[in-house]
Amino acid sequence: MKLLVCVKQVPDSTVRVKVAGDQKAIVPEGVTWAISPYDEYAIELALEHKDANPGTTVGVITVGPPRARDALRQALAMGCDDATLVTGADVETLGGLATARALAKVVDEVTPDLVLCGKQASDDDQGFVGQALAETLGWPHVAIVTKFVASDGGTEIWKEVEGGHEVWKASGPAVLTVQKSQKDPRYPSLPGIMKAKKKEIPEKDLASLGADLGGPSVEIRAMEPPPARKAGRVMKDGDPKALAAELAKLLRDEARVL
Amino acid sequence: MKVWVIAELKEGELRRVSLEAVAKATELGDADVLELHSDERASALAGATALAERARAGAPDLILVGATPAGRDLAARLAAKLGWTYLSECAELRIEDGQAVAVRSMYAGKVRATVSGTLPAVVSVRAGIAQVADAAPPRPGSVQVAPSGEGLEFVRFEETKTTGTRVPLGEARVVVSGGRGLKGPENWKLVQDLADVLGAALGASRAVTDAGWRPNEEQVGQTGKTVTPDLYIALGISGAIQHLAGMSSSKVIVAVNKDPDADLLKIADYAVVADLFEFVPAFTEELRKVVARD
Ligand SMILES: Cc1cc2nc3c(=O)[nH]c(=O)nc-3n(C[C@H](O)[C@H](O)[C@H](O)COP(=O)(O)OP(=O)(O)OC[C@H]3O[C@@H](n4cnc5c(N)ncnc54)[C@H](O)[C@@H]3O)c2cc1C
Ligand SMILES: Nc1ncnc2c1ncn2[C@@H]1O[C@H](COP(=O)(O)O)[C@@H](O)[C@H]1O
Repeated sequence: MKLLVCVKQVPDSTVRVKVAGDQKAIVPEGVTWAISPYDEYAIELALEHKDANPGTTVGVITVGPPRARDALRQALAMGCDDATLVTGADVETLGGLATARALAKVVDEVTPDLVLCGKQASDDDQGFVGQALAETLGWPHVAIVTKFVASDGGTEIWKEVEGGHEVWKASGPAVLTVQKSQKDPRYPSLPGIMKAKKKEIPEKDLASLGADLGGPSVEIRAMEPPPARKAGRVMKDGDPKALAAELAKLLRDEARVL
Repeated sequence: MKVWVIAELKEGELRRVSLEAVAKATELGDADVLELHSDERASALAGATALAERARAGAPDLILVGATPAGRDLAARLAAKLGWTYLSECAELRIEDGQAVAVRSMYAGKVRATVSGTLPAVVSVRAGIAQVADAAPPRPGSVQVAPSGEGLEFVRFEETKTTGTRVPLGEARVVVSGGRGLKGPENWKLVQDLADVLGAALGASRAVTDAGWRPNEEQVGQTGKTVTPDLYIALGISGAIQHLAGMSSSKVIVAVNKDPDADLLKIADYAVVADLFEFVPAFTEELRKVVARD
């Protein structure tokens, strides 16, 4: 089976994001970049499939600035077989639909059996590109996926829903948007890192793909940090019962949330 | 201004977030409420296909969908199908000079952004987008969904044992979450009893879901759910930045932790420094009295 994972490079989850003076973007200085968390889970699902089914190949692709090469390198070190960087001017302000259309051009070339995306990228938090990619390709998609298994005449796909999982079967190619699953993404192994260093990462020019990069996009008018929370009331040094009674009273009379 | 709401039902009733979307739609223009009907479990693609056909004929300016997991999935595919603007998980929404202007969180809750896009647009809205009107909501019109026939078929449903019929986390007014401080799954009765008294949804830190003490769907934070309840109670959770990303917009935060330096205590409105195993049973008892009196 041929799998393709779409990854986006975003600020690492531990980064305290700062908003730039013009309020249109974040301050890039001091940011550690990483593969978006759900995309790492997508890589993990793909690699698990490869572990269980030798002969599987796992490619990764990103549409991003040159620094996104590091994300691809990381994916290769985790065990992916090949990587593609799509880059060019304005690549950082590309809208969701345009990104999907650019990705679709590469999917047409690579012809994978399944494409895996993250459930959402943890910079724009949209949850749009996977569905938009499937739509552009004319493929079905399954969102919030925690597992897939190749079965007779297709792929069984587990989708997390309230109270459990729906199992869907795709008879042909499909896009999956991947949710956190029980198994944490693996760390790159030392040999993996060595191997990844030597791998060539081909680059494609965004403008030359021939994708329609127009269409509606979302304009950022202003960014700001979320309203700061001021330190509240500290309650300690009491008998637990007395503290409990006091808190219950405060929640009712002061906070008025009961 | 023609505004459609795609309503989501739960046990035959419109969900809270759908009711709020209806209230928002009424505020913005002429509201029409639609509901998807299908004989079998329909995929988001099948739903989007049926809705897109309806939308091309009816030409609404705006389609609102509650930002539940199913709603967001449907909204994304629908926007792509129509080639319209998509604004995801909006906490505020207004129309200004023919543009949809929304407030939404980015960078896993670390940034609040005002964004805009041209109409027509599909917008998924978060719980809290508007105050539910007293008047009964309009009866939803029905949109019949046919199987997509595009190579995707529903096979079966697998139920998760650990979850009962609780309020869904994303829409709950009160959330009680437990962290590693609870020491093990066998102690969850403490969390559950407290949640029961308050009619609350259950949440958890990632340390807890990773350890398999609680199902993934209860995780709050960057790789879990984002919640904005009136009251968030965190028991034995340290307050890592990835956890804060999912809950720091809650109206009132209570944190119980035995370590006075725990980060969550620093942003809590009520920071209780105590051993949760002593405090929580007493607190549940006290709340039971308060709730019974009201
Ligand atoms: C990419 C990425 C994504 C992540 N996403 C998430 C996410 O979505 N959600 C999330 O929660 N985390 C997430 N994390 C993990 C996060 O960094 C923390 O590891 C996690 O939140 C810690 O969980 P915890 O607070 O339960 O455990 P701990 O940090 O171990 O804290 C336990 C707390 O319990 C207190 N305690 C212990 N015993 C008692 C007692 N008897 N009474 C009272 N208090 C007690 C301790 O003082 C301590 O503060 C993510 C991490 C990464 C790298
Ligand atoms: N620039 C990009 N390059 C590659 N994949 C992307 C890109 N943007 C988004 N994706 C994929 O689409 C998913 C959803 O992204 P989003 O719609 O931006 O939240 C991500 O988790 C990635 O798998």
